[in-house]
Amino acid sequence: MSLLKWINDISNNERSRKAWFSLVCLIFVIFIIIPSVFVVLKMFTEWGIVHEVFKDPVMMSTIEGAIWNSFSIAGLVTIIDILVGIPMAWIFVRKPFKGKRILDTLMDMPLAFPTAVVGISIVMFWGIPDGISIPGLGVVVSPYIMLILLHIIFTYPYMVRSLSAILEQIEPNYETAAMTLSASRLTAVRTITLPLFRAGLVTGTILCFARSLSETGGTFIALQMMGVDSTFFTGPTFIAYMKAEYGADVAMGPMILISVLMIILALLLLVVVKVLIMRFKIPVKKVWPQLGRKVSRGAVPKLKDVFSIAFLVLMVLLPTFYIFTFLTQPMADIDYGALLSATGISFLIAGIAVAFNIIFGTPIALYIARKRNTKLGKILDSLVNVPLIIPTTALGFSLALFWGSIYAGGSLSLMMVIFGHIAFTFPLVVRNIAGAVEEVDASYEEVAITLGAKPFQAFSKVLMPIIKSSIVAGAILAFTRSLGETGATIAISDSIKTVPVYIMDLIKLHNYTEAAFCSIILIAICFVLMFAVRILVNRGGNRA
Amino acid sequence: MPEIVLDGLYKDYGGCMAANGLSIKVNDGEYLCVLGPTGSGKTTCLRMICGLTKPDKGKISFNGVDVTNMPVSERKAAMLSQVYSLFPPKTVYENVMFSPEIKEWEEESAKQLVKSMIKMVHMENKVSAYPIELSGGQQQRTALARALASNSDILLLDEPLRALDARLRLELRKELRSLVKEMGLTAIHVTHDQDEALEMADRIAIIRKGKIVQIGTPMEVFQDPATPFVANFVGRSNIFLGKIRSVCETCSEIETDIGAVIKARITNMPEGTDVAVAIKIGSTRMLPIPVPTAEKPEPEQPNGFFKGRVERVLYEGATITIEADAEGIGLVSSKLPNRKYDDYKAGDEVMITWVPEKASVFEIPPEGIEEELRLD
Amino acid sequence: MKIKLENISMKFGDFYAVRNINLSISKGEYLTVLGPSGCGKTTLIKVISGIWKPTEGKVFVDGEDVTDIPMEDRDTGYVFQNIALFPNMTIKDNVGYSPRVKDLPAEEVDEIAKGHLELVKMFDRAGMFPSELSGGEQQKVALARALASGSKMLMLDEPLSALDARVRVELRYEIRRLVKKLGITVLHVTHDQEEAMAVSDRIILMRAGGIHEVGTPLDLYRNPKSIFAAYFIGETNLMECTVSGKTKTGRTVVKLRGGPTVRAAKSDFEKGDPVVISVRPEHVYTASDGIRAEVIGAVFMGVYWRIRTLAETSDYIDYNVSSNDEVPQVGEKVYLVFNKRATKVFSRPTEGLEEAIKLE
Repeated sequence: MSLLKWINDISNNERSRKAWFSLVCLIFVIFIIIPSVFVVLKMFTEWGIVHEVFKDPVMMSTIEGAIWNSFSIAGLVTIIDILVGIPMAWIFVRKPFKGKRILDTLMDMPLAFPTAVVGISIVMFWGIPDGISIPGLGVVVSPYIMLILLHIIFTYPYMVRSLSAILEQIEPNYETAAMTLSASRLTAVRTITLPLFRAGLVTGTILCFARSLSETGGTFIALQMMGVDSTFFTGPTFIAYMKAEYGADVAMGPMILISVLMIILALLLLVVVKVLIMRFKIPVKKVWPQLGRKVSRGAVPKLKDVFSIAFLVLMVLLPTFYIFTFLTQPMADIDYGALLSATGISFLIAGIAVAFNIIFGTPIALYIARKRNTKLGKILDSLVNVPLIIPTTALGFSLALFWGSIYAGGSLSLMMVIFGHIAFTFPLVVRNIAGAVEEVDASYEEVAITLGAKPFQAFSKVLMPIIKSSIVAGAILAFTRSLGETGATIAISDSIKTVPVYIMDLIKLHNYTEAAFCSIILIAICFVLMFAVRILVNRGGNRA
Repeated sequence: MPEIVLDGLYKDYGGCMAANGLSIKVNDGEYLCVLGPTGSGKTTCLRMICGLTKPDKGKISFNGVDVTNMPVSERKAAMLSQVYSLFPPKTVYENVMFSPEIKEWEEESAKQLVKSMIKMVHMENKVSAYPIELSGGQQQRTALARALASNSDILLLDEPLRALDARLRLELRKELRSLVKEMGLTAIHVTHDQDEALEMADRIAIIRKGKIVQIGTPMEVFQDPATPFVANFVGRSNIFLGKIRSVCETCSEIETDIGAVIKARITNMPEGTDVAVAIKIGSTRMLPIPVPTAEKPEPEQPNGFFKGRVERVLYEGATITIEADAEGIGLVSSKLPNRKYDDYKAGDEVMITWVPEKASVFEIPPEGIEEELRLD
Repeated sequence: MKIKLENISMKFGDFYAVRNINLSISKGEYLTVLGPSGCGKTTLIKVISGIWKPTEGKVFVDGEDVTDIPMEDRDTGYVFQNIALFPNMTIKDNVGYSPRVKDLPAEEVDEIAKGHLELVKMFDRAGMFPSELSGGEQQKVALARALASGSKMLMLDEPLSALDARVRVELRYEIRRLVKKLGITVLHVTHDQEEAMAVSDRIILMRAGGIHEVGTPLDLYRNPKSIFAAYFIGETNLMECTVSGKTKTGRTVVKLRGGPTVRAAKSDFEKGDPVVISVRPEHVYTASDGIRAEVIGAVFMGVYWRIRTLAETSDYIDYNVSSNDEVPQVGEKVYLVFNKRATKVFSRPTEGLEEAIKLE
């Protein structure tokens, strides 16, 4: 109690508030931002070995191919997500229907699945991998198309969520107003709502693009199961492959090069995308009153809704859950010891990362939400996105280089992996909390302090109970994301075996059944844990 | 209870001066209304008093003690916000208990205090309801009880009635003022509603563009406005433009642009000055001009400044509003008691006049009369 | 346009927002729907304009059943409480929106937009975006936008309640002048009785989903048929009392709490009936004899002072004193008399007076 009182008291002093916040910012920059982009610096100091790579035409063409695959897949996936995401967001925000809540929960499921598991599941669904007795559709043989289908699964929910968030903020009266002015619904949406939609489109695009660029675990597994893992590369799988095949020291040159290229191209492209979307004008001058009316009523809108939901079910949910068909198979021999230790490590990493992010991310989230218009607010707001945009494999590689250049010893690999996971889950936690705080009128805290509450009391007694559930949601999201991450982990360390890494190893050995059962067990543990947390938090007395 | 002094406050929001040399002295136990249009800096003024916003320059003191750098939580100035801001996860009781709880007052006496506050605002039947279950008026009352239970000396009210229905607003005006008076608090109430300010305030401070334009009792502000803006903002006024023709002992004569001569109170501006004359519509008289009939072919003509033709007569309850078109001048309005309703109908000719002492004369402000009279 | 409603009901779940509404509105009429929050007034105009389809009943416009016609084909101008100007378009494009989506030629769109902007005196702002205008200006543009659809029927959904009090007063007169000039049928929803009185030809007073009373502002103010109407429209003193007899001319004589008797308007009540009388402050005068009362407050209201007294009947009684006259001091004893013709008698509600005038 006395500690709390002490915190309350020092929170009343403006200078100590500033000191605490400076500390948080410092930690953010030193532990998260600098390590994430350290590799760019490294390219200049190690220019010699990078230069070597340019002289190797075979290597260069492989790198170019990998980068092209990564970016073109990410681009296509994002475009598909936008096209099918917009109608879906509409359904979620503007249409009340039975089973909406269930659909709502189902949609986030792919995010809670480790990507490695989704990788297995999707190849089983669309292709016919060797060594698995469960029949698949067998229609997709091209690794390129397979990856697009895979990446849609874990980018689609991000797109729908970002679009829904913006749509919810757009005044529904705009559309009604347009329609009372004789516009058909289609015209109203096209001329009024869509142009107001850009902000959501930007966020959605960034999230999807970055997620697709980053993805390593699922991609690597899918390629492996299709037997093309040493011939078909994306940026992240190339780094993973080089590291596993040649070791970090030998492959240093190509790895630095591809990491830097991915980071710079990603940052560049996103700036371009942002500018393009904000500049792009949806042509609103021309209207077709009759046609507009025809397609706004009757069968067309219904068909669109049916198509959207069918897409969600057939392209996203079914392939994700297909792995559960393994439950019809005889149980495989599982090395429980290894699985358990991998699970322990995964949970340890995810737990520490999330706890760290809540403590140090909340002050930053508060600042971003409440002081978005100040200079520092704007800087923090864009800096927080950096770890999100950088492909996690490149990020992990960069981080390992950074800490490696400080501590030469190799015994710190667990800690480095934790740092890595802190870095890429940080934006998720901050974004979630900032979003929740923005929804809460600042007057709650302000009134509380005028009533005599110290600033920390205003936070802990007033704001916290209101945003608690959002913090938990953010924490769960970050936790599952950490649990599912493969790329960053293997880029940082060869020795740390988290669950997805463990599953990947099993796949490499073609132990599909065991990998699948391990996956199912992992998913089960995740869900039990998530429900437990939700129940615990709700019992804490959130009656409103 | 403290006296509050704001001394030369400045606050710049990126080029927009929310406070531009703001100075007010609020007396101990006074109910002061700060009245002004949207964007005039009234909320900033309130936020600077409780410390939520820091002035760029200037000094704030309570009872002679400089509080400019004192933390918000120690100022004992409770804010009642426009949206009430009742904490959603807490019941009415817990909301009112907020301040005693965080200040760790002795439990029994805190409970007594909270109960008596809840009773005072007539919320005894709703103690365990959550804010979401309350109507607007009930939320407002609960927020007031919460502020009163904080043992603050100063109550800051930020448009406390804005979100309520018009009729309910009328009821709560009386209730709110009498509660504040009963507790002996110094209250600063920010509003854009001049009727509310007239009815509730001991004194009204009219704020515009971050500056106090006039401060005085409701009657002073209404009857003796300092600027054309105040004349038209606190109660509607008819405004006429002209040149001072002469000033005699009891009144001044102003020649309007179309040649009619109107009278107003005396002024010390020299003859020939371009001026604006403002007369409250409630003081503007419209005398019906009788139509010649067979019995009275030449009826007596009423005296007045100029003629107008009634465009419409609106029955507004206790009063009626007549809008008349005066050639070359435009619409002139008059507000009369409702018993006069049957004396006027559209199309009637009227003679427009007023008691000269009730009309104020102003120099034309440098930025022009249009800009001066802008309401928002 | 003539509008007629037949047995309109609108149900949300099990809750009737409006129930069994019958109403006709004549061409060019300015009709105000007045009532406290949650009385169903907005629901009613949303049904009339086609934004919502009623669960029961029919809407006729000029004799034609339009109940099933979607809103985009109704040609009803609608002005929203939160203004809802399209933020991505200039003022002119906002006003020209309706002709444009009807695919009229560009020159015609331009002409309509310009004409309507001039109508609300906002032409000099044509190139600006909504966020650059003040609240009052935005609402004027919204009005122009609704009128530019060429509609002869205008729905105003609390158009002034988001604005400053003083702007509200100015704009309400402007709106009335404008629509009367154009001869448009208007339905204006508001909770502000003062606003309703100032603009309407006729007021519909709504309460709890039903029409409570209908009449011209004059009727409703002078001759309300219910206590709620007397209380809601304008300010009044309500006193519980009992009928004690009748005068020769048929006026009701009532006995107030504590004994004093007063004469009131004619009514059909019999001796002994429990009643409530309503007398407006401007019909209460001081005299040398009458109901004894003590002044407990005086408030300056601009043209007059409102004097609040506590009478010997334990009622609060308010009366007005002209701002030119002398104002009584707090604590002073006065005698009050009522204008008997203006003192209305209502039967005392069984649910209690407080419940009968409850606002929320």
